Amino acid sequence: MKFTIYQESRPGCRPNNQDRVAYSYSRESLLMVVADGMGGHLHGEIAAQIATQYLIESFQQAAQPQIRDELMFLSRSLTNAHNAIVDYAYDKRLPDAPRTTIVACLVQNSVAYWAHAGDSRLYLIRRGRTAAQTRDHSRLQLMIDQGLITEDEALHHPARNRIFSCLGGTHSPQVEFSSATPLFANDLIVMCTDGVWGNLEGDEVVDYMAEANILEASPRLLSRAEARGGLTCDNLSIMSMRWHDDYADEQPASISTNTMPLDTITTKMDGFGRGGRQTEGNPLSENEIEAAIKEINQAIKKYSRFDSR
Amino acid sequence: MPSQINSPLPSGFQLEQYRIEQQLSLGGFSIVYLATDDQQVPVAIKEYLPNSLALRKAGEIEPQITEEHQAAFRYGMKCFFEEGRSLAKLMHPNVVRVLNFFRANGTVYMVMQFERGRTLQDFIHRNKGHIKERFIRGVFTRLLNGLREVHAHKLLHLDIKPSNIYLRNDGTPVLLDFGAARQTLAQDTPMLKPMYTPGFAPPEQFNDRDNLGPWSDIYSVGASMYACLSGSAPQRSDERIKKDLLEPATKRWAGEYSIHMLETIDWCLLINPLERPQSVYALQKALLTRSRHIAPKPPTTLLGKVGTRLRALLRKS
Ligand SMILES: Nc1ncnc2c1ncn2[C@@H]1O[C@H](COP(=O)(O)OP(=O)(O)O)[C@@H](O)[C@H]1O
Ligand SMILES: [Mg+2]
Repeated sequence: MKFTIYQESRPGCRPNNQDRVAYSYSRESLLMVVADGMGGHLHGEIAAQIATQYLIESFQQAAQPQIRDELMFLSRSLTNAHNAIVDYAYDKRLPDAPRTTIVACLVQNSVAYWAHAGDSRLYLIRRGRTAAQTRDHSRLQLMIDQGLITEDEALHHPARNRIFSCLGGTHSPQVEFSSATPLFANDLIVMCTDGVWGNLEGDEVVDYMAEANILEASPRLLSRAEARGGLTCDNLSIMSMRWHDDYADEQPASISTNTMPLDTITTKMDGFGRGGRQTEGNPLSENEIEAAIKEINQAIKKYSRFDSR
Repeated sequence: MPSQINSPLPSGFQLEQYRIEQQLSLGGFSIVYLATDDQQVPVAIKEYLPNSLALRKAGEIEPQITEEHQAAFRYGMKCFFEEGRSLAKLMHPNVVRVLNFFRANGTVYMVMQFERGRTLQDFIHRNKGHIKERFIRGVFTRLLNGLREVHAHKLLHLDIKPSNIYLRNDGTPVLLDFGAARQTLAQDTPMLKPMYTPGFAPPEQFNDRDNLGPWSDIYSVGASMYACLSGSAPQRSDERIKKDLLEPATKRWAGEYSIHMLETIDWCLLINPLERPQSVYALQKALLTRSRHIAPKPPTTLLGKVGTRLRALLRKS
């Protein structure tokens, strides 16, 4: 397998980051996970962490070096992750069950399989177009589907983050599975939380990512969404993976698993408590003050060009 | 540390290319001055000077910031930058214009276009209970044009109230004070707690910040309109949640103003964010419609339904 992969998670303007991203690969299989935790008192963060960790650990045990039944693997490990969160809540006697969205994607033999619950998304982008996309498990999506509101009205709707399916919580999750989807060279998979897509317009994910070097475009996309999110910006996370031909020339910074030993697994997953937005601990430095003033004056100049007065 | 009163820069003081003329206002977070630039054009200059962290004694220029407050002072500066950042992007006749931003005297300054007139707060005080419907419709329809621009940039104002709405001498409104950034950023820095006026903030701003949206500013617009009629701030929303004592405009001023405008005000002031106008556009549409037969979106509460039916009956008779 040959691919280029990038993951990043930012707190936005929130005091802590309840999103989680992780990927893991063996010589012949790749698993990518994005989760967005919900619930007060850090519980959302715990739910997202349990789910991600559970999926990654299941993968590490099962990918030897391939997973036998891809969809079965996704189905089982998601159900078990749900149970692990519910058990945790029970053990700790948490009053409200922690919950998390999940989107997980497994790739092997050049075929992708994904599953999701909630409103974290996966896009498959092929030749500059969205070839496939998950459908949010949100009330709002239902309202759009039934023609009760338009996509535009949905953009600012307060119920936009109410979802009807997730891991944890009191109901068993309604997980939706993709069909087996063959990947072609240059195909791009982008997975993200609503902090990213919710602050972008229509096709911006595709526009930003389609032809770009994902190692540069992914953080740029996050910055764009973060700027748009303004003062109340939610946590934002992205996982992007560009698929390469096995026989293609070595791409800079791409990963080739072909030389990996059969029993080795590589994982990238951040741990717990990577703080949120720094406040007291990180006052502005002199340079940052200068930079901020410069940026504001540039914006003033840029926008006053359109001044008709 | 008790809050102190900071001395303003003396009039005649040369601050970069600007000459300070006089102090316009003193808030907990900043001082606003009237000044003139090198072309003798008047400008308003806002000086970052949180009085819980920085002290400028009479006759001094540089404020003193003790070692222990350095970090918080710098942090608050970040919030002041947020205000500048928001305003720099907005170019609208009903939103105050920023002209320049600079650093001096150990703090930072924002230069704005100077507007002649007075705040809506002032106007309400002077005309208590005698503000005409035409005036209210006129001011708020234009103000909403400005607010639409703000929302179009995915920004929320979050501190709309009569003292932040400025009326030019020709009667057109200007939205001032985008300092509410400090409310978001300063939540865990108690020294920088904003001194906002309760009564204009929606309930979600107190306890449910995830649900802030255009409808939150719309609540504040409704509260400001309500204040035009009553002469004072409506009941605070965090108290309304516990016990709602706010008399609906439709009841309190029945017969004095058009039922249509009164309904629009009550619509904005609904506690449930979902039931308020969801966009400035929806509210503007309601304000511009003069026909009484087109009611704003009927309220969904049981009480509202009864009210709608009653009104329908009244119309028939
Ligand atoms: N551009 C301006 N032109 C004229 N007066 C202004 C201007 N900006 C602010 N002021 C005056 O200063 C007062 C305080 O400004 P504001 O931006 O609301 O600061 P604060 O954060 O201290 O409330 C306003 O109520 C208004 O009277
Ligand atoms: Mg003010």
